[in-house]
Amino acid sequence: MNKEIQESLIDLHLQRAVFGLDADEKQTFESLLADAGVGLDDSFDLAAAAVGLIDLQIDEPLPPHLQARVIASADEYFASTAAENETVDEDDFQKVLTFEPKRSWSWLGWAFAAVACVALAANIWVTRIAPAEVAGPTKTPEKTPVKLTPEQELAQLLASQASLVKANFGVGNVKELKDVGGDVVWSDEKQTGFMRLRGLPVNDKTKETYQLWIFDKTQDKATPIDGGTFDVDKNGEVIVPIDAKLKALGPELFAITIEKPGGVVVSKREKIAALAKVETQSKTNT
Amino acid sequence: MTQAILHRIASGDRTAVQDCLSKYGGLVWSIARKLLRNSDEAEDAVQEVFVDIWKNAGRFDESQASETTFIAMIARRRIIDRIRYSTRRISADSLDDVLLEPFTRADKAMQMSVEANEAAEAMRKLRPEQQQVLRLSIIQGMSHQEIADATGMPIGTVKTHARRGLMQVRENLGLGKADRLKEVSI
Repeated sequence: MNKEIQESLIDLHLQRAVFGLDADEKQTFESLLADAGVGLDDSFDLAAAAVGLIDLQIDEPLPPHLQARVIASADEYFASTAAENETVDEDDFQKVLTFEPKRSWSWLGWAFAAVACVALAANIWVTRIAPAEVAGPTKTPEKTPVKLTPEQELAQLLASQASLVKANFGVGNVKELKDVGGDVVWSDEKQTGFMRLRGLPVNDKTKETYQLWIFDKTQDKATPIDGGTFDVDKNGEVIVPIDAKLKALGPELFAITIEKPGGVVVSKREKIAALAKVETQSKTNT
Repeated sequence: MTQAILHRIASGDRTAVQDCLSKYGGLVWSIARKLLRNSDEAEDAVQEVFVDIWKNAGRFDESQASETTFIAMIARRRIIDRIRYSTRRISADSLDDVLLEPFTRADKAMQMSVEANEAAEAMRKLRPEQQQVLRLSIIQGMSHQEIADATGMPIGTVKTHARRGLMQVRENLGLGKADRLKEVSI
């Protein structure tokens, strides 16, 4: 392959990987590959695919109806390839019967040998190797730990010697939620925390959920830590445990948004129900 | 060692289809939505991508790339072809929109695949203009012309940055050998 063709092929591989080829370019590309007697080099497309993974948010699985479509097309695809293979197999079988009759029986010797080996192995296992069953000590029933309520867990955290971050909740950008209040307590050391919230309305779980976001010292402001989703099922004060999906260190701001059921990966911040800004960091609990 | 899903598919193991969908369905769906921005079109593209995956599973070579990258490659190829043949360009965001993305869960960002981390590392070694052009083209799906319009670079410069940038990324990822095309021809 001369240098000029090689350069053109590299150019077209690159163009194809980054921007795609139009019909004319594709034809030129295929002709060049054929003339040069070389195959497609995946390395350009693989490099572009790897770059395409950067910042890609894989935030939801395939929708069920689409998954069903893909499975149906897979069934169709595999059925058609299986049918093709069967045709080929039958043809081969015919050839064997017609031209090589001995081969159709030659497997019998191997089959007998295999059966004999299995029988011998089973005999050795049963008579010489298999461990005797020994009655073990009776297991002492374990005590079921008492599950504390969020109120009790919060009380325990407040009573502990851990350094705590505390902040008060105020209103967000949802005009109707003007009476939201409460506070949040977080321990870096224990990686646990609780929100005590008031004025947050009971949500319709089928339509929306609340989601907490933790802005801490370790994360970029564009990527706060997901503090978990929660529902409010009663009026008045609710205590919600924080379910931080990553280690949060030195939280500076807690934001509660209203999202679709299950929560989101990317919040558009359209409905911020409440905000709690930490004024003082890592206050020691005394 | 667990057998790669793609190898299982190539050997006709039908149970691998469900495993493939569970593991990579979200990846393909995300790539389709990112590049096509139209749900109906993205759904059709996803179905085509998976047929391509079943067909090409036997070509997967784990010594060259991971399954994730291989599947992302098949998805990109199919989707870009779709865009080019429909003569409709990707409706890319304006630069401002790209820069002002809403906030994203850190744990998801942190869970960026090994492949994405390696690619990000490979990108960091490029010149800023090359990084910008590759980001806008590959990640945001913009055409030469759209990049030229958005950045004020001449179209030839956009192409040069894309070319040199991707060559460098390919080298940095250990995918490219200077004489690779020559090797294939022998």
